[in-house]
Amino acid sequence: MHIPDGYLSPQTYLPLYGVSFAFWAIALRKLKSELSVKHIPYLAMTAAFSFIIQMFNIPIPGGTTGHAVGAGIAALLLGPWTAVIAVSVALIIQAIVFGDGGITAIGANCFNMAVVMPFTSYWVFKLAMGKSKNLSSPLFSKGGKGGFARLSIASFLSGYIGLSISAVITAVEFGIQPIIAADADGKPLYAPYPLSVAVPVMALEHLLLFGIIEGVVTAMLLKYFLKHEPDAVYAIRGDRQ
Amino acid sequence: MSFIESGIEHLGKVIKTGYVQWELASGNGFFQRLDARIKVLFLIFFIVIVSLKRELLPEIAIAFFVFSLTFASRLNILNFYGRVLFFGFVFGFLIAMPSAFNVITKGDIILPLIHFSKPYDFWIYHIPATIGITEEGISTVAMLTLRVINSVSLSFLVLYTTPFLDIIRALKVFRVPDAVLMIITLTYKYIFIFAKTIEDMHLAKKSRTAGGIGNKEAREWIAGRIAFMFKKSRQRCEDVFNAMIARGFSDTVAIYGFKKMNKRDAAAGCVLFSAGIIFLWI
Repeated sequence: MHIPDGYLSPQTYLPLYGVSFAFWAIALRKLKSELSVKHIPYLAMTAAFSFIIQMFNIPIPGGTTGHAVGAGIAALLLGPWTAVIAVSVALIIQAIVFGDGGITAIGANCFNMAVVMPFTSYWVFKLAMGKSKNLSSPLFSKGGKGGFARLSIASFLSGYIGLSISAVITAVEFGIQPIIAADADGKPLYAPYPLSVAVPVMALEHLLLFGIIEGVVTAMLLKYFLKHEPDAVYAIRGDRQ
Repeated sequence: MSFIESGIEHLGKVIKTGYVQWELASGNGFFQRLDARIKVLFLIFFIVIVSLKRELLPEIAIAFFVFSLTFASRLNILNFYGRVLFFGFVFGFLIAMPSAFNVITKGDIILPLIHFSKPYDFWIYHIPATIGITEEGISTVAMLTLRVINSVSLSFLVLYTTPFLDIIRALKVFRVPDAVLMIITLTYKYIFIFAKTIEDMHLAKKSRTAGGIGNKEAREWIAGRIAFMFKKSRQRCEDVFNAMIARGFSDTVAIYGFKKMNKRDAAAGCVLFSAGIIFLWI
């Protein structure tokens, strides 16, 4: 999912830098007003946490292992606006220090994984949970099986759909390159795959494999947090009050 | 536990990368002695030039230029280009290779591979009677691979010759707010601290475990460790905040700038800028 340098034309990576800048500015203003002077250490620690989540390889039922992008679970735990900054900072450090993702593509990668994914995951979770208010401890007691199933499905869908939508948007960014940046003979100058190839390939591999990994990891982590640290979960804090 | 081991190995690489970067940045080559602001401006300028070039020749010229700078900076050429070529192969060649076929890039077939009795049409897709590698396709793959190699080598050149914290401080040139720079700086430091904590937790678990553990138990353990890291990050936030307050932090972040640029830095900056203009022009 990390777009390297050289695949996006300037007419794509510059506007995406602009969009990401706008989200960063809004997120910083929002968080600063909520957290006041505490926002700097808070955001730094959450960004380090977002980075660290991606380091864990987790066994998935069926024999495979994988790691999550983590933007979905970050949005559920921290709230989507905090996740925008936390995941963006993690992506910027990955690009600069580890060569994971290009420098010209930082705006695009942040838009795809730190803006689209947290918001999609958060709203899918909210939508799937519906008006369920009974999210306090009985959920995990013997009588709370129905609520638990709903929560598991909601958190799985949150990670699954969040990553899949983000992958499709990445594919569209790739797929429009041959249309907007080709030479006089029609030869593509940047990512060479047209929309008819980029979108199905990215969508299928994320719908059939990576999305499932992200969904399972998100559900597994949320389940653990609700069992042991229910007050830490931003997405249900409002419902619990 | 092998997947846990691979995760830990990944974390180990994170720590090692940070250490190697810090170690190399303190060397005494051409780039190490340059002002970080010049290097960051050079990086951004050249990466944009690499992304703007549409022909192979200028990309090859840029590759030679970066090679000469790497050589002048006394970096270990084998290690440096080993890493750069690995990235170029994976993110450039492997990803772009299928586009060398006429199914993706139309053009003159120079290496026919598969023949069908007739062409096929399926929905929006067209499969020609002969599938092969085209001249135009090869040129696209070469261009993308070279672009990735050039971009990665430029990034690594600056990264291996500049302490990370100086790179971040140099972003002040682009008017990035000090608060953002401080968030990135703190994050970078705590990534290493957290990575070390996880490594220690894993070692502690391993030393207490006799025999293997099941996947379900392993998942529980990992979820528990992630939750622990979350708690730890919250607790660290409080600690760091209290430390900031104790040192008189009010609400204004001010990261100290750099000292005045000397003549040597200014001259090197002019040379690098002129080289960039030449590459833009050719």
